[in-house]
Amino acid sequence: MFVQQLMNGLILGSTYALIALGYTMVYGIIELINFAHGEIYMFGAFVGLILVTVLKVPFFLAFLLAMAASALLGITIEYLAYRPLRRSSRLAALISAIGASIFLSNLALLIMGSTPYNFPTPFEAKVYETPFFIISRVEILVLLSSLLLMIALTLIVQKTKIGKAMRAVAQDKDTASLMGININKIVTITFAIGSALGGAAGVMVGIYFRTVTPTMGLMPGLKGFVAAVVGGIGNIPGAMLGGILLGIAEVLGAAYISSQYRDAVAFALLILVLLLKPSGLLGKPVQEKV
Amino acid sequence: MIARKKKTTIFTAVFLCLVLLLGVAGCGPKESADTEDGKTVIKIGTVGPLSGTAAAYGTNVLRGIEVAVDEANASGELGDYVLKIVSEDTEGDWSKAANAFQKLVDIDKVNVIIGAVLSSETAAGGDIIKDAKVPTISPSSTAVDLTKGNPYLFRNCLSDEVQAIQLAEYAVKELGLSKFAILYTNNDYGKSLKDAFEAKANELAEVVAVEVFMDGDENFKSQLTSIKEKNPDSLYIAGYYTEAGKIAQQAKELGMNVQLLGADGLCNVVLLQIGGEAVEGAYATSGFYPDDPTPAVQNFVNAYKEKYNEDPDMFAAQAYDATRIVIEAIKSKGPSSEEIREGIAATKDFPGITGKTSIDEEGDTIKDVIILKVENGKFIRAR
Repeated sequence: MFVQQLMNGLILGSTYALIALGYTMVYGIIELINFAHGEIYMFGAFVGLILVTVLKVPFFLAFLLAMAASALLGITIEYLAYRPLRRSSRLAALISAIGASIFLSNLALLIMGSTPYNFPTPFEAKVYETPFFIISRVEILVLLSSLLLMIALTLIVQKTKIGKAMRAVAQDKDTASLMGININKIVTITFAIGSALGGAAGVMVGIYFRTVTPTMGLMPGLKGFVAAVVGGIGNIPGAMLGGILLGIAEVLGAAYISSQYRDAVAFALLILVLLLKPSGLLGKPVQEKV
Repeated sequence: MIARKKKTTIFTAVFLCLVLLLGVAGCGPKESADTEDGKTVIKIGTVGPLSGTAAAYGTNVLRGIEVAVDEANASGELGDYVLKIVSEDTEGDWSKAANAFQKLVDIDKVNVIIGAVLSSETAAGGDIIKDAKVPTISPSSTAVDLTKGNPYLFRNCLSDEVQAIQLAEYAVKELGLSKFAILYTNNDYGKSLKDAFEAKANELAEVVAVEVFMDGDENFKSQLTSIKEKNPDSLYIAGYYTEAGKIAQQAKELGMNVQLLGADGLCNVVLLQIGGEAVEGAYATSGFYPDDPTPAVQNFVNAYKEKYNEDPDMFAAQAYDATRIVIEAIKSKGPSSEEIREGIAATKDFPGITGKTSIDEEGDTIKDVIILKVENGKFIRAR
């Protein structure tokens, strides 16, 4: 039973990790908590749903298109809601982010209504049994695609020229621009990649839990944020670790403490980590620039 | 200050006199023997919120009554009598409900009252209708002991507890289940279902696991894994259709082989869409199910839709049944208040659209709750 619960936590955690990556990448570059990220996740799920059910697009193509659409939405939000405020106080951008989040979820409620939509499963529900745990085909898909996406992201950030530029901008925006890096372009790319990951998580959760609703982004958005902070905000491996840890803590908390407190467990973990290591598990101590 | 108080007192006195006069005047020439098209009128009073926050309940109740009355008048089943509705709005306020009851018995001189809707409203009218000896049947007030000690007060409605108790009995006796697990949603609805089901199931068999979730949760695997460990043969879901569909899916993914059970919160097509194969064979109690293919239900649903252009809900259906109980009472005993009271009190095995209904000696409802089963992706009536 323990191994099964661990697996449940791992699968839940991998979706949190994908969401957390979007938060952490944006924060790493422009030090902004993009609170509209949960809505990008919701948007991705809806795009995937519409492509599969209305336009009858094959599932994997729909998955990629939903990621692309989410990336586009992320870029648009950045362009309309954050870029004009780049030079103003961080609080202004934060409020703009919350506004974008409320606007998007209400827009979705207006267009799609509040009844949950059923996400048809792309393939027959098959269950595999091992001596220690049972895993379904959908779960394997969620785990594998999260893993692949995380590997791809790490490769982009560590091995490509764009990744190098992203890291440079994260380290020091002004110096990076002096070195000939186009800051606006890098910010746009970062939003695109982070949002694509969020949209991917949305589609995966959609097929995993079979439902898509306009308000589905709220709680996972918060959890993704918590995961990013636990792992050390701005740190990419930290977001992955934080997501997985959070998922496992939540499931084990629900199993062994009380299922009423599963969300409480998640936020208690956040407080605990912040008390012991304020910069997050993998975060570096912050030094205010003089 | 004092002068003003005096003024108010005088005003009140004059006002009361006027009201009394009006009341007396209303009594004089207006005996209950009204006629319409040569038929004697039987007045049915209704009390309920037609405006305010609870207006949806009151409106649907009134509509249910109207459908039953129209039907009875059109069919001529009452012979020389014709039914007429006198409806009063309470705005959901119990003091206005008391006034409404008073007006119906004193001024309108109704033969029978169907109402009120909210429990507080019905409680406020209890003594008034008892003193006036006007039988009253509420189609929706579920408060405990409401009808106790009042021979003129009856009700026709279904509490959450009764649903859970009857399903537990059905599960043990008809389905042969013996090891129950319960998964409930953490609100009043889920808790009262869970408490009643757990008590009854423990009395008849055994409850091996109880787990809880929150409204809007998506992932139930950790609760289900804990439940699976205890090897139950059935899972009672005390919650709503969206979560129940996901629970069914995830239970299947965990390789659980359990009979799914639930209450009226499950009876919605969304359950079938989300749950798909996984909810096949599930049983759930239902206060009223508009897609029930039984002819009586379909007649009501069609008549209601034709008149109001929307699907009836449980409130409308219970009000329809309450009105039918009154009509049956008139047919079997007679149209006077006392005769109607006797007729309602004698109701036994009345085949209502909300289930087979009897009235016990306290004026409370005994109902064979409708049980639905999911078969081939559709709800069918199992009982």
